[in-house]
Amino acid sequence: MKHSVSRREFMNLVSATLGTGALIQLGSALSLLPMTAQAASLSLATPTPGKGKVVILGAGISGLTVAWELTKAGYDCTVLEASNRAGGRVFTVRSGTVIDEIGNRQVCEWDKEPHMYFNAGAARIPSTHRNLLHYCKELGVELEMFINESKTAYMQDDNMMGGQRIRNAEVSTNVRGFLAELFAKCYTAAQLNEPFTEAESETILGLIRQFGDLDRSKMRYTGSARAGYVSGGFLEHGVQKEMIEIRNLMKSRLIGSTFTANEGETGPMLMQPVGGMDMVVQGFTRKLGDKVIYGAPVVGVQVKEDGVEVAYDHGGSRHSIAADYCFNCIPAHLMTGIPNNYPQDYLASMRSIRRGEAYKSAFQAKTRFWEDEDIYGGISWINAPISQIWYPPHGIHKAKGIILSAYNFGGGMVFTKMSQEERVEAALAQGEKLHPNYRDVVEKPVTIAWHRMNHMLGCSARWGSGFGGWTDEVQTLFDRLQQPVNGRHYFIGDQMAYHGAWQESAIASAHWALKDMDQRVRSMATQA
Amino acid sequence: MFKEISTMKRSFMVLALAGGSLSLPASAEMDTAYYNDHYCTTCHGADGIGSEGVQAPRLAGMEPWYLKRQLEHFRAGMRGMHREDFQGTEMQPMAAKLSDESIAELVAWVGSWEYVPTPVTLEGDAEAGRALYASCSSCHGANGEGSPTLGAPALAGQNDWYLVTQLQNFKAGYRGSAPGDTYGAQMIPMAASLADDTAIRNVVSYINTLGR
Ligand SMILES: Cc1cc2nc3c(=O)[nH]c(=O)nc-3n(C[C@H](O)[C@H](O)[C@H](O)COP(=O)(O)OP(=O)(O)OC[C@H]3O[C@@H](n4cnc5c(N)ncnc54)[C@H](O)[C@@H]3O)c2cc1C
Ligand code: HEC
Ligand code: HEC
Repeated sequence: MKHSVSRREFMNLVSATLGTGALIQLGSALSLLPMTAQAASLSLATPTPGKGKVVILGAGISGLTVAWELTKAGYDCTVLEASNRAGGRVFTVRSGTVIDEIGNRQVCEWDKEPHMYFNAGAARIPSTHRNLLHYCKELGVELEMFINESKTAYMQDDNMMGGQRIRNAEVSTNVRGFLAELFAKCYTAAQLNEPFTEAESETILGLIRQFGDLDRSKMRYTGSARAGYVSGGFLEHGVQKEMIEIRNLMKSRLIGSTFTANEGETGPMLMQPVGGMDMVVQGFTRKLGDKVIYGAPVVGVQVKEDGVEVAYDHGGSRHSIAADYCFNCIPAHLMTGIPNNYPQDYLASMRSIRRGEAYKSAFQAKTRFWEDEDIYGGISWINAPISQIWYPPHGIHKAKGIILSAYNFGGGMVFTKMSQEERVEAALAQGEKLHPNYRDVVEKPVTIAWHRMNHMLGCSARWGSGFGGWTDEVQTLFDRLQQPVNGRHYFIGDQMAYHGAWQESAIASAHWALKDMDQRVRSMATQA
Repeated sequence: MFKEISTMKRSFMVLALAGGSLSLPASAEMDTAYYNDHYCTTCHGADGIGSEGVQAPRLAGMEPWYLKRQLEHFRAGMRGMHREDFQGTEMQPMAAKLSDESIAELVAWVGSWEYVPTPVTLEGDAEAGRALYASCSSCHGANGEGSPTLGAPALAGQNDWYLVTQLQNFKAGYRGSAPGDTYGAQMIPMAASLADDTAIRNVVSYINTLGR
């Protein structure tokens, strides 16, 4: 390594590697991860007498948020939900749950115990999602910590190390060792007497050494106990694992995962409701009671000058309901099939949104075999369509547990197109590369192809031509759909936020609409 | 106009359904009634008006014999099996699970939906399309009304984006090339006679003018 680096380059390198805080701020500036927000306080005005009827289409988290906030403010709310359950993409599977995939209906047959559940949609609550956390607190939803990263979980890639699984710690330790050695070499070679004093240089070298666990005198990386021991450690001297050459690790595109699992949106502390994510939904529906009508698909929406008329089916007949305001979280691609009198440009915005393809699956594990391998939560990464295996952080040391056997957020169609049998076989065949005895220790599979779930058919809304395709044209379409029709009909849900596929996004869109409506109500009241 | 007011008025009317097993979900408790084969409206829209967002065409007002045949063809894997047939593979897996009784019941259910005009979404040269349509009318009728005798469905009044997909699929062999699909097979040379996507757009634009 004879290449010497300029000071500026070096500074860039150092800050890029060590200055995580700086990076996170940069991320915010690029709106990659939203800034920590204070929970919004929505002091909504009480309704104008005789003008307080509100109908909410869809009992997704955004619809429930609107219903709850407006109920508190004194409005008369009705929520129409097509499915026989509330929550939409907040969906927890446990014993007896019906997974209503079109053409592949499943009934979950797991042991009936509180910890034996699977969050098939939303699963993690970052500590920066202030509004969602605010509702958890207000609605009495008990939370516990969720473990996202585990150094003892595995990584596997057929292209790397002959396809053998290695612990995440081995990946991160060896990659860091390499990077630190590189930094140390550059540092001396570049003769950086400025802008650092000798003492400062000492400190920086110390940091580099710590970062990679380098050998003290030569600043070389020769392996580290951080990667774990082959044997011993307590009553015998620990035998350190062999160092793995970066050249070997580099064969896998996955190695970055061990550095990013605790960054960005999964960087803050993560939480989950005790007993399943649908506890959040139940928190709302307990408050709303019979204001939510289940099995009530909306079949028509007419926006009028001074209100909205909605048709829906329920109990074998057709009904209609007139309201002063309407909040609609029905997925856009389903709304295009419901008769309406929306303006053409509003409809054009809806039609432009594409459907996401998220896919998850899970098994009941006959034993908590991962605990025998020092794993108590976190994620194993694999270069295969299943992509991840999650170990439950709850139910520690109980007899059994539910293990996530696949999570493919962006490319779930690989599985969606398969039959149930093929999906299960693929999960087993890929999973056994991480756990050789997998087939023998897991049973009772469930698969959730969001692209085919009844009344949903997707996750999450794709604006533009796909991820990252945010153009001026898309912005115009988005802005149009965010504006209410006649100040009466609001389109909401995470589909109406820049940062999709989080409950916080759905709530943010609901709050935006509520504030807009509240302003109109107040200005009409002053005019009157 | 995506939707006409008159249709809206009609859709507010109470829809009488034929038979107890057809009843819509009443409440969360009525799970056995809730979980039936009536998934059609999630994709094909309320009362089968068609949904561009899911690319699922209008079913309301469809000929019962044609509807039945398509459900059977999807079920048998004669349609919607090719990997590249994205829309067809959306439809196929649920049809694969249908029993004969269920198909009969679904045909009756779909038959209870009144025809609704579909919106025009296509811009093509309808005049050029008129000439191309000359070779279609022998089977699909001069007004695109279809022919039960020849087994050719009505084309007039169907979603234009859907007709385009079908012609593309016949041309590519995604539809009509499965063994036993004698009806679909008749369409392959017909679609092949349409030179390119422009010709397809033009002929469908002409079909749009036929009304229903
Ligand atoms: C795999 C996956 C992982 C996720 N992970 C996380 C996570 O870790 N953390 C997190 O916070 N979020 C996560 N999310 C995202 C989160 O679940 C969603 O952003 C949020 O639940 C969306 O809420 P919404 O209000 O937009 O409504 P939706 O959930 O989209 O609800 C729409 C509702 O409309 C109803 N509906 C449809 N048609 C009709 C009709 N015709 N009439 C009446 N009602 C109708 C539906 O049944 C549904 O209840 C995840 C999502 C998925 C799929
Ligand atoms: C998951 C969504 C989905 C569901 C549910 C669904 N369909 Fe479809 N269906 C489609 C799509 C998409 C197409 C278009 C296929 C194509 O372009 O080739 C289609 C096509 C069809 C066709 C062919 C139309 C023609 O003109 O040839 C018929 C008939 C049909 N569906 C009937 C039904 C019925 C009846 C049901 C309910 C039992 C149903 N579908 C449920 C998505 C669906
Ligand atoms: C020899 C008779 C014949 C001719 C000529 C013919 N068709 Fe067809 N067409 C059929 C039949 C039969 C079907 C039904 C196929 C099936 O059941 O799958 C069909 C189906 C179609 C469909 C699919 C409809 C649907 O709802 O899915 C389209 C679109 C179509 N034809 C367009 C055309 C056009 C355009 C032409 C002229 C270029 C044409 N056809 C000429 C017999 C014909």
